Amino acid sequence: MGLFDRVFRGSAEMYQKAEEELAKVIAELGEDAQMQMPDTAYFLSCIYAYLGKKVTKLSELRDALAEIKGKMTTNYRTTDVFSSGIGTAMAAEVIEATKYARTPTPYEGTVYHGHFSDAEVRELGVPLVTQDIPGFVVVIGPAPSTEEAVNLIKGYQTRGIFVFLIGGVIDQAVEAGLSMGFPVRVVPVGQEIWSVGHIISLVERAAMIFGAVQPGDWEAFNEYSMARIFAFVNAYKPVADIVVACGGGAIAMGFPVITNDTDDMWRVPKSLIIQEDTEDFIETSLEARDIKIKITNIDIPVAFSTAFEGEIIRKADMRVDINGARFDCFEWVRSQEAKDIEDHQIIVDGPDIADIEPGGSMSLGVIVDVAGKNMQPDFEPVFERKFHNFLNCIEGVMHTGQRDMIRIRISNTAFEAGFSIRHIGEVLYAKVKSEYDTVVDKCQVTLVTDKAKLKELRAEANKTYDKRDLRLRAMTDENVEVFYNCILCQSFSPAHVCIVTPERLGLCGAVSWLDAKATNELDPNGPCQVVTKKRVIDERVGAFEDVNEAVQKYSHGALQQVTLYSILEDPMTSCGCFECICGIEPISNGVSIVNREHTGVTPLGMTFSEMASMTGGGVQTPGFMGHGKHFIASKKFLKAEGGVARIVWMPKALKETVRERLNESAKELYGIDDFCDRIADEDSVTDDPEALLAFLTEKEHPVLAMEPLL
Amino acid sequence: MAFKQVPQKFTAKINPLTIGEGADAITLGGENVLPFYSFDAAIDNAPKIGIEISDNGYAANIPGIAEFYAGAETLPEIAKKAAAAPGVDFLAISMEGAHPDNGDRPVDECAKLVSDIAAVVNIPIVIEGSRNVEKDAKLFEKLAEALQGKNVLFLSAREENYKSIAAAAGLAYSQKIGAESAVDINLAKQLNVLISQMGVKTDSVAMNLGSAAAGYGFEYVATTIDRVKSAALAQNDNMLQMPIVTPVASETWTVKESIVSEEDFPEWGSSEERGINMEIATAAACLAAGSNAVILRHPESVATVSKLIAALI
Repeated sequence: MGLFDRVFRGSAEMYQKAEEELAKVIAELGEDAQMQMPDTAYFLSCIYAYLGKKVTKLSELRDALAEIKGKMTTNYRTTDVFSSGIGTAMAAEVIEATKYARTPTPYEGTVYHGHFSDAEVRELGVPLVTQDIPGFVVVIGPAPSTEEAVNLIKGYQTRGIFVFLIGGVIDQAVEAGLSMGFPVRVVPVGQEIWSVGHIISLVERAAMIFGAVQPGDWEAFNEYSMARIFAFVNAYKPVADIVVACGGGAIAMGFPVITNDTDDMWRVPKSLIIQEDTEDFIETSLEARDIKIKITNIDIPVAFSTAFEGEIIRKADMRVDINGARFDCFEWVRSQEAKDIEDHQIIVDGPDIADIEPGGSMSLGVIVDVAGKNMQPDFEPVFERKFHNFLNCIEGVMHTGQRDMIRIRISNTAFEAGFSIRHIGEVLYAKVKSEYDTVVDKCQVTLVTDKAKLKELRAEANKTYDKRDLRLRAMTDENVEVFYNCILCQSFSPAHVCIVTPERLGLCGAVSWLDAKATNELDPNGPCQVVTKKRVIDERVGAFEDVNEAVQKYSHGALQQVTLYSILEDPMTSCGCFECICGIEPISNGVSIVNREHTGVTPLGMTFSEMASMTGGGVQTPGFMGHGKHFIASKKFLKAEGGVARIVWMPKALKETVRERLNESAKELYGIDDFCDRIADEDSVTDDPEALLAFLTEKEHPVLAMEPLL
Repeated sequence: MAFKQVPQKFTAKINPLTIGEGADAITLGGENVLPFYSFDAAIDNAPKIGIEISDNGYAANIPGIAEFYAGAETLPEIAKKAAAAPGVDFLAISMEGAHPDNGDRPVDECAKLVSDIAAVVNIPIVIEGSRNVEKDAKLFEKLAEALQGKNVLFLSAREENYKSIAAAAGLAYSQKIGAESAVDINLAKQLNVLISQMGVKTDSVAMNLGSAAAGYGFEYVATTIDRVKSAALAQNDNMLQMPIVTPVASETWTVKESIVSEEDFPEWGSSEERGINMEIATAAACLAAGSNAVILRHPESVATVSKLIAALI
């Protein structure tokens, strides 16, 4: 028999039962008898929600039931399963309502809860809306054993999931002496399957109270529960037709059903899931309903706080030194398939701190495997770069560097408190899961300290780093669909807006296009928003109508237009946290770039801070521009004015940082070799423009052949 | 050449937000002109003034306050007196005694206190938090229930606890929400976006953009309010069109000018006068920048600021 038939048979069964019960109660009390559920302003709320009918007496309940019958269609289409399923839930409500027609307290003296008051709906609704309760489960059973029933209930409890019980599983919970009730978030609803009507009633009232969904708007109720109520069903075998029919209703509302019954059962992706191993019900269920459990505390023996971020561990206080410059060490985030990793598994492979002599050194390879429906490989480096902050917040741990050039020191005090290598994994697990909960569903950490294995792993990690770098380098402003803005520093500089493109990173140097993209996807209302680039005004200077609109919007009207590639025409503004400032040097027709660290004077006759006072604050000063170090080698640097060939002076340290890539760009753009050697620095020229000109002439700097700037 | 007046009214307007119920209900906002520019277009709802008491009573350390509240023993009596002060539009109750470090008054006791006040006071009620985000989340849920149907404004939904407050006060009990940010237009806007994504309608939300006493970094407050108002009106930014409510007293009655005694600073004159002047000056500056309501403590300040508003609109 097919799934359709089972649903249709089950719903017919529920309807028949409702009809019988209703006939009985009408025979007893008469059709004019009052009918109301206690402590609610929403009548029989399933019927009120889906049919828009206010039932106040038994005759109206009879009319409603007739209408419910009409919803139990059997045309063998998916919509019939949904419609019959919801009909089944309403029929269940009718059956339960007949009990309340006789007395407002039909379950008095039993373990069963029955109807939920509006106050209880609000009490549960608030944490459901805020996700303090990540979701709820309806367990229909008995479980294979009492012990397993208890494990399942407690497993959900520890994850903060609210548990409703129906049927034999309640007897098992009672037998085990489990404490139950609203406050402990385990509620035995009723023995028979129709008590499920109370739970659906609660869901519909939540939609009306919290979502302002209008009674009678069938679709809107299903949409609300699908989008906002994170519920699911665990049904133990044997699952009868009538339960299957209720399941049809649950699925229509967006609540997946997980069962271990394989008889006459069909898998429906994301909706009806067969998990024969009942011990895996919890994990399967959470994944199916896309519920992520928030991690609030980190299980380590030392404190974890930003207060420890700047902590320095000196050699004398150091228990162990992990040094990527001397040994094979690395930090590596890998995207994986969900099925291939186990959440919160932390593997330590090799010796631990205790195995190393005090003050000695060890190797460490950190592999963080993450999986998630919304995970993208582009986020890997973004997570990786945050490891530095995460690990530094541990009391007694100092971390510097990234990729395969890391250095970690662990203090004696931390070691004595019980800190071991595994705890590095605990911290990374907890932080990655909590900070990136929108994209990470599962996270597994492997900590390799076995030197023999590290060499190969490091080589493999390096392959990934290279691949990422290659991708970054291959990305141009032309081959991406959108740019991003960044207004992180508007609290200091209210009118400033950065436009971040693949070839022009944020002026602070900390926000690349990929970072901005990740920030946007992880925090859709946050400081980085999508800026389209569809309407080009002038390709040469990088002017776009969309970009101008974004700048107007995010500067709250202070700024009207910017160009992306010009220092003279509407240059991009600066907040004050630029890594470098570039300023026009009029005698040579070139530009000088000075980085924040350089304290000396430039050929412009000004120091960094003097130039900064003209450049910051979100104002446009043509001829001056703040930017990140990595923008210097970009082919878009001063593109409108002729590109990097305009660079005539840089401090030596800065030149070394950008040398390789700048030389590459110059070679590609102008066919010049060793371009950096033609750029003056503080050794050759300080503040004398004439000396600068002489230097440039001697070195045959390409700027001398270029058009005047002004 | 003769002066030709060009009315500078905007097509966008500030959302009108009604709090309280019945004849004493008041509406904040609704204007489509800059603050007090009633010559450009009529301002239907003049800025409003709230008088502040706390769950612990009145601020007895403020000179002259004890005389005003003389004879009022219980919290409801104090509330009644406060509500009757000339110029008062609404009653603001600060739940300072609920802060874990400041008495940690239990949630149920707080609910009882505010219900008792609500039973005797007809003017609208605004609830200010305890300044502790975790406590406020729990507290507001109970207070929203206790004050059902009173159409109360819950002023301190912050980035850390807006979800609970929006869900409990805004959705479950249909009260009004005040989104609190600390003098930052982007955070203010982000919070409004987040609260509206929870399902709370934008016209049920007010903003507390933060405050400072005049002379204590007030420039930041003034420009923030100013920029929010101009984004709301000139750029029709509907995520910044909520009316602005600014608690003033909590800032001004802690600064040196208001609290040092006459004995220590005889040349500064009467301490009561100084405190009142500080409160009035700050309130006036907030209103000029664009606040739709201010919250004050001293009845004298309330009376003066209300005269100022009446004279300008």
